[in-house]
Amino acid sequence: MGSQDMSRRNTARSLLILLAFLALAAFILLPFAQTLIVSFTSTLPRDGIPEGRFSLVNYLNVIRSPALTSSILNSFLYVMMNVALCLTVALPAAYAFARYAFVGDRHFFFMLLTFRITPPVVLSLPIFVLFAQFNLVNSPIGIALVHCLFNIPIAIWILESFIAAVPTEFDEMAYLDGHSWLSFFFRHLIPAIAPGIGVSAFFCFIFSWVEVVFARILTVTAGKPITMAINALFSFRTDIGLVMAMTVISLLPGLGMIYFVRNYISRGFIIKA
Amino acid sequence: MLPAVAVLLFVGIVPLVTVFNYSFFDIFSLQQLNWVGVQWYRDILSTERFYDALARSVVFSAIVLCVQIPLGVGIALILPRGGWRQSVALMLLAAPLVVPSNMIPIMWLNLISPAGLAGRTFAWLGIAFDYKFNAIHTWLVLVIMDTWHWLGLVVVLAYSGLSGIQPAFYQAAAIDGASRFQIFRHIELPKIGGVLSMALLLRFVDSFMIYTEAFRINAGGPNGATTFLSLDLGEDIQGFNYGMAAARSMIYFLMILIVAWSFKTTMDGRKKLQTVNRA
Repeated sequence: MGSQDMSRRNTARSLLILLAFLALAAFILLPFAQTLIVSFTSTLPRDGIPEGRFSLVNYLNVIRSPALTSSILNSFLYVMMNVALCLTVALPAAYAFARYAFVGDRHFFFMLLTFRITPPVVLSLPIFVLFAQFNLVNSPIGIALVHCLFNIPIAIWILESFIAAVPTEFDEMAYLDGHSWLSFFFRHLIPAIAPGIGVSAFFCFIFSWVEVVFARILTVTAGKPITMAINALFSFRTDIGLVMAMTVISLLPGLGMIYFVRNYISRGFIIKA
Repeated sequence: MLPAVAVLLFVGIVPLVTVFNYSFFDIFSLQQLNWVGVQWYRDILSTERFYDALARSVVFSAIVLCVQIPLGVGIALILPRGGWRQSVALMLLAAPLVVPSNMIPIMWLNLISPAGLAGRTFAWLGIAFDYKFNAIHTWLVLVIMDTWHWLGLVVVLAYSGLSGIQPAFYQAAAIDGASRFQIFRHIELPKIGGVLSMALLLRFVDSFMIYTEAFRINAGGPNGATTFLSLDLGEDIQGFNYGMAAARSMIYFLMILIVAWSFKTTMDGRKKLQTVNRA
């Protein structure tokens, strides 16, 4: 009887958890659903298409507008450059953190954290002045560089925990086999921590993709990213359907990235106690 | 190590020093700087407006943390372990993280507009929802929107901490006949302390300096009820009041730094205490 009671309580419990998850899913998906619906609706009076009906016109308008399509390219360009740059400089740094204890390493870690938590608004003005002197305004290189401010610390943090999980014998074995440091790095270490690189790339990608404060201040006349292109769509008579179609497009790369790292996404944040 | 330091020096330290320098000048243009000393700091710190905005930001961060941290940990605890269900749940939770921050208010405004899904539900339920003129409703929208956006990060961090706990700990607890709460209090909470403190810190600074979302929803209204610290800074920059903006930036940066620093010292202190207790 006791075990029957127990199993009934277990079913009730898993049912409750299921319900909680359904509610959570509804909460998360609701704004997405709204966006998707509006993006497929004609929201301005047009010839031939009744207002408020299902239509592909918004997506067609995106393709027809050179400003919008080029903004998608601009975003991709600086985000990719940022991810490449962050990984290149963060890998050696993360290796150093994971393998060597040096004076002040804890403080250095805190300093890295400080960069991540500095609000972009605080630095936006001098960044603009500084980058104008180096001719980096309106260029994807400028945005890619400035996004390193918060992405390098994140990348080092994630990569460090993945490298720390690789036993030290692994390194020593490779050196005994006569590998130089460089060839060990590329042939052995990088394949061993590939999931970690994937997860860091994912977080660098999304943080750079969603950032707007620096992206706005560094693109005055050209090189507008997708987020600013959407801002520019707002006017006295905003075509909200077009805005939503662009929003949906802007979500696709990030959602694709989530799919690729889905099995590793939660593995990167173990902090050395 | 050196390349990372070089890049961060260029995009972090140099601008920070520049802001510090600007904050002592009245700036007409970059060629015309007038030394005003600590005038800006005195101006900002002597107005009531600053303390009101500070209070609002502190309250907002407090609400956000009180909602998101327990909720995130709770979800991480009941999240399915392994298999496709875990992937689906994590993917779902991470989805709002990839929405650009200026699109989030657009999506939510659309949702709660009279023609949107939520707006129509409110009308159907007979709720008079007015985020433009009712301060409580504006706050509700901001808190719910922020939770929607960032809950996934808290869950992912907490979950990564939980999945690092070896099964042996749970077995030992089962042998001792520990209750579910005891397991949480004495095994899970200490083990996820590290990542959780990180989540706490990240959520604190981002909510404390919330700008794009708050500005878009109601531009600090109604009647200044959602004018947070960052909105005042945005106003200075838009008004080309750069000297004052720089001074304000420095004040905000120092506040964040002090919180982060005291946070780190308490964490280190607790860690030391634990090692002492164990020895």
